[in-house]
Amino acid sequence: MKLVLPSTVSAQAFDQALNRFAGIVGSEWVLATDQDRDTYLDAYALGDGSDHVAAAAVAPQTVDEVQAIVRIANELKIPLWPTARGKNLGYGAAAPRLSGTVVLDLGRMNRILEVDPKFAYCVVEPGVGFFDLYNHLRDEKIALWMSVPGNAWGSVVGNALERGIGYTPYGDNTSKICGMEVVLPTAELVRTGMGAMAATRSWQHYAYGFGPGWDQMFVQSNLGIVTKMGLWLMPEPEATLRVRVNLPQPEDIRWAIDALARLRLDNVIENNMVFGNYLHDAAVLSQRDEWYQGEGAIPDSVSARIMERYGIGWWSFMITLYGQQDVVDARARIVRRAIEPQLKQTLKFDAWRRGDPIEQSGAGIPSVLPLQIVNWRGGRGGHIGFSPVMPPDGRLALEQFHRMQARFEEYGHDYYTSFTMGQRHISNVNIIVYDRDNKAMTDSARALFKALIADSARAGYGEYRTHLDFMDDVAHSFDFNHHMLMRLNETVKDALDPNGILAPGKNGIWPRAFRGIGA
Amino acid sequence: MTRAAHRALAAVLVSASAVTAAGADEAPLTAVQTEGMRAFHAHCDYCHLEGGTGSIMLGRRLGPGKALLEARKDLDAAYVRASVRSGTRSMPALTRVEVTDAELAAIAEYLARAPAPLSGSR
Repeated sequence: MKLVLPSTVSAQAFDQALNRFAGIVGSEWVLATDQDRDTYLDAYALGDGSDHVAAAAVAPQTVDEVQAIVRIANELKIPLWPTARGKNLGYGAAAPRLSGTVVLDLGRMNRILEVDPKFAYCVVEPGVGFFDLYNHLRDEKIALWMSVPGNAWGSVVGNALERGIGYTPYGDNTSKICGMEVVLPTAELVRTGMGAMAATRSWQHYAYGFGPGWDQMFVQSNLGIVTKMGLWLMPEPEATLRVRVNLPQPEDIRWAIDALARLRLDNVIENNMVFGNYLHDAAVLSQRDEWYQGEGAIPDSVSARIMERYGIGWWSFMITLYGQQDVVDARARIVRRAIEPQLKQTLKFDAWRRGDPIEQSGAGIPSVLPLQIVNWRGGRGGHIGFSPVMPPDGRLALEQFHRMQARFEEYGHDYYTSFTMGQRHISNVNIIVYDRDNKAMTDSARALFKALIADSARAGYGEYRTHLDFMDDVAHSFDFNHHMLMRLNETVKDALDPNGILAPGKNGIWPRAFRGIGA
Repeated sequence: MTRAAHRALAAVLVSASAVTAAGADEAPLTAVQTEGMRAFHAHCDYCHLEGGTGSIMLGRRLGPGKALLEARKDLDAAYVRASVRSGTRSMPALTRVEVTDAELAAIAEYLARAPAPLSGSR
């Protein structure tokens, strides 16, 4: 991609910035060729990704270097887009919201600074990937388990900051953050929680500190650059029990969500569960044209063949129980009482005990296999996720399923969904898969996404996270009191980032300098 | 991974490679190719081992015989470099921060290594 700069940045200021960045990090870590810009494009963009083109990237290795870069950016009014490992796939990857922004690539800051086996936490830099931390724990024989997302190629810190999830009892990754170090938009360094005390011995033991807690301010935001994060890890349990459950009928969602919601609320089931439709399996195990070559969404007769081939239900989910042996056995009895009468089958759990092969357990083990779904339509595949948050109620879930499925079919896309169950909510993750080079398909995917935002907002459901293309739309759907939340966000943004240099447009928050011209 | 573990893994990999390389159809790895093998396993294992998502995609598109990059005999170094920097199909491009130019050059040399004369064309 050729260089494109925001209207607020002159070519002279940009060149000067790159030269000064090179003086900080070394010229080999300032990446500004056409090919470099290509490598920071969104690999799964709806189209060619030319709406979100980085002007360059700069890759510091130390906190001091980050601060120095931020000072220069303020001086020359150069917008920066921090990224940890750039694998926020489906949401824009490493690409900036505003074309012409310089990506602050934190991939070289990849040290595992501390793992405390006794008190079960780690302190990591943003470039540490899930595989890195997993290998470290395994190599050092540390009996702590990680919460790992479906696509585990990315950063532990980045995922927690985007409110990503994993599937163990520690799966609400953001809630396991305990203490952060943050470079503010004006380059000062702050530590949150107990870390605000220079001689602290409890930074990763107690999250809140004294007075207001600011950690959430740096989550899904453009108000700071996180350079260190404390994260709680799960002590390896004595045992796990797992069982996969298949539900044959689409309408089974109603009773099943009600039963599972109660088990989640009571903490009998402690982890986030993916309650997904048959396409979850089909899109990993096969490609669409093996089943159907027609236009429009795949018909019910084809769905039936897919389910029959793989021996799966219209819906399926995995129940995993964690703890001491006595505890998981007791939990299993409660689950059986709640599920079996309506399922009309006996649940057959697979047992794992400490010392057995870890692959048989409920541990979070990094994998990128779920990315296989982008190949469902063939060609240069991509995907985008629409994920509204809703109450874990069976009737509401059935209604949402019918509403979403109808929209997918109206726009000619195969309905891929999961009702991922937290303790008091569902993240209804709907994935649209497309061939990026098929303009009709990407156009209809975009139109479908906009329709889903509007439908869900009418139903009272807003998204938990979204792609660059839709950040303004989703932010706009949070509209209580004439969008007062956005006005608060903008007030804070302007106070902390007066030059508007940090991630303009992230989550719909535009600094004063770009308000009205960035979107 | 700790440095000690890195070294241990590298030793195992080199040893495994030596077994392969000592077979009927492959020459021993050069120093650059050995570094390429290390870098391949550091940066490409996520998707390109047996059963990995990249291997599955390649197998579907090109046939099972071409699924595993390390077993291929038809890869050209320039093609490998271009694929990594531009991305290919559903594989995202990798930046020079993630895989440096020197690492990529070594990976490309490793994947495009020539077979021994007896093995015929590649």
